[in-house]
Amino acid sequence: MTTEPSRRIQRLRRRALRSAQTAAVASPSNAPDAPDAPDSTTAPRVSFRDAPPLTTPVFEVGSLSVFYGDHEAVRDVNMTIGDRQITAMIGPSGCGKSTMIRCFNRMNDLIPTARVVGKIRYHGENLYGKEVDPIEVRRRIGMVFQKPNPFPKSIYDNIAYGPRVGSFKGNLDDLVEETLTRAALWDEVKDKLKTSALALSGGQQQRLCIARTIAVKPEVILMDEPCSALDPIATAKIEDLMEHLAQEFTIVVVTHNMQQAARVSHRTAFFTSDVDVKGERHGRLVEYDETERIFSNPSDQRTEDYISGRFG
Amino acid sequence: MTSTGSGRRVASGSPGFLKRSQPRYGEKAVKVLLVAASLVSVLTTVGIVIALIPPAAEFFGEVSFGDFITGTDWSPLFKPAHFGVLPLVTGTLMVTLIALLVAVPLGLGAAVYLSEYARPRVRAFFKPILEVLAGIPTVVYGFFALQALTPLLQDIWPGGEGPQVFNALSAGFVMGIMIIPTIASLSEDAMNAVPNDLRDGAFALGSSRMQVATRVVFPAALSGIVAAIVLGVSRAIGETMIVAIAAGGRPNLSFDPLEGMQTMTAFIAAAGIGDLPTGTIGYQTIFAVGSLLFVMTLVMNLVSIRLVRRYRQVYE
Repeated sequence: MTTEPSRRIQRLRRRALRSAQTAAVASPSNAPDAPDAPDSTTAPRVSFRDAPPLTTPVFEVGSLSVFYGDHEAVRDVNMTIGDRQITAMIGPSGCGKSTMIRCFNRMNDLIPTARVVGKIRYHGENLYGKEVDPIEVRRRIGMVFQKPNPFPKSIYDNIAYGPRVGSFKGNLDDLVEETLTRAALWDEVKDKLKTSALALSGGQQQRLCIARTIAVKPEVILMDEPCSALDPIATAKIEDLMEHLAQEFTIVVVTHNMQQAARVSHRTAFFTSDVDVKGERHGRLVEYDETERIFSNPSDQRTEDYISGRFG
Repeated sequence: MTSTGSGRRVASGSPGFLKRSQPRYGEKAVKVLLVAASLVSVLTTVGIVIALIPPAAEFFGEVSFGDFITGTDWSPLFKPAHFGVLPLVTGTLMVTLIALLVAVPLGLGAAVYLSEYARPRVRAFFKPILEVLAGIPTVVYGFFALQALTPLLQDIWPGGEGPQVFNALSAGFVMGIMIIPTIASLSEDAMNAVPNDLRDGAFALGSSRMQVATRVVFPAALSGIVAAIVLGVSRAIGETMIVAIAAGGRPNLSFDPLEGMQTMTAFIAAAGIGDLPTGTIGYQTIFAVGSLLFVMTLVMNLVSIRLVRRYRQVYE
């Protein structure tokens, strides 16, 4: 059934891909790849990114379920996340992808009713082991949130916050400059380091939050819908930055935006919510594969339906 | 729009058809009542200031302001009368300072615990209890200081004479207990109002709970916290019953908290319930001291507003 999608579905999928391509062309990030004056008869092909192999896994997730009180928000997830690549998690609202990403740096610990069952191994170490210190975990696995949340402090102090609480020894000024440069924000803010971060635009604030995260030199950056509050130009800048950072960092990104997943990620995980026999909703991982395959030849009908815009 | 469906309103075409169809007297009456309600407090304040001025002015016609503010002997009702207010001022400041030394650390500690550490159920249990503490009549606190705390201090005092029967230490300590709920509850509200986004951001950078509380939440809530402390200080400076009962009625220019001393409010209360004839200099001292108290509180409020403007971190 999944090998022979109906003509209608194929048509829908083509339409979705076309819009992904148009968006990719429109965004400055991909502008150099696109022809200057695209011929309307030969639409540019979307170029998916080759997925690096999963030979050095960063996270290995096994039979993972997350409960809020009695409710099982995410059920039985198995996946492996690879080193220095971008893994996207997509799916409709309420499918548990945000819950899932918050497991990777134990942010769910902060919700009193949340409970994680199953295994997440981080470089072979059980992330939820008894002796594991969540603070240590979060210094290695940073996170960027949906809404830009800079501290109501100066730009400088925002970057310096993480190193300071981590008792950084060294030259803070140099670290701030280096970090902002890596986050492609230095030129925009170098003359106003002492002004409040809240004076920046939304997109700049979000890039500052990314910079703040890399200032503590993590290995992994988790991003929970980092562009959902931003306009397309600010989004394109963040996507550029993500591509750039993926050379050094392992990035996991939750996104509502399928085109974004298609543009930036190497691998994509599609989540959806299932209703079980008792009528309760659970987030499930449906399909996890190289992004190109998810968007061009998914093996599950539900993935097919979602990326072709039939629901979600 | 309505399901009963008498249809759209159709313009009648006659001029002035947009005039209101019924007079709305209720609306006006409510507005008048609300304005009156807000005016009561303003008018009362203005009235008090106006009432303070003439007797105080008469007082300063007889006693120079310099003698009043720098004099070290306060005996306005005896002969020869001395009008140096410093003993009352130092008494007030001493008791207030002791109260703050107790209330600020404990109040802020309680606020940080309730806002940043306590689980929701614990908070739901603790906060009302804390607020009940604010409802205890101050006369009870006063007797508690005099009858329970002072004897206890005298018993356990290591060496020396220990506190006198009336002393600033007991009064200040109990007053500190009294203003803990004010400081704790209002500071907790201010910290609770700090968006969780900021906490999440700080936790995600590897902060401990204490670091989140002290480096992110506390600075963001600073203006509310300072307001809470200022309100606490105002209550302490204005508090009368505790000091009248537990700190004694003897003006005493001393910086030893173990001695009894009279505060400005305690003097006003003592002189006010006496039978001073109006128009005498003794009667006017009440207003002079009252004016000074008013000015002190006002200056403190203005200074703290300045400080807050300078150091607060606006998060929206």
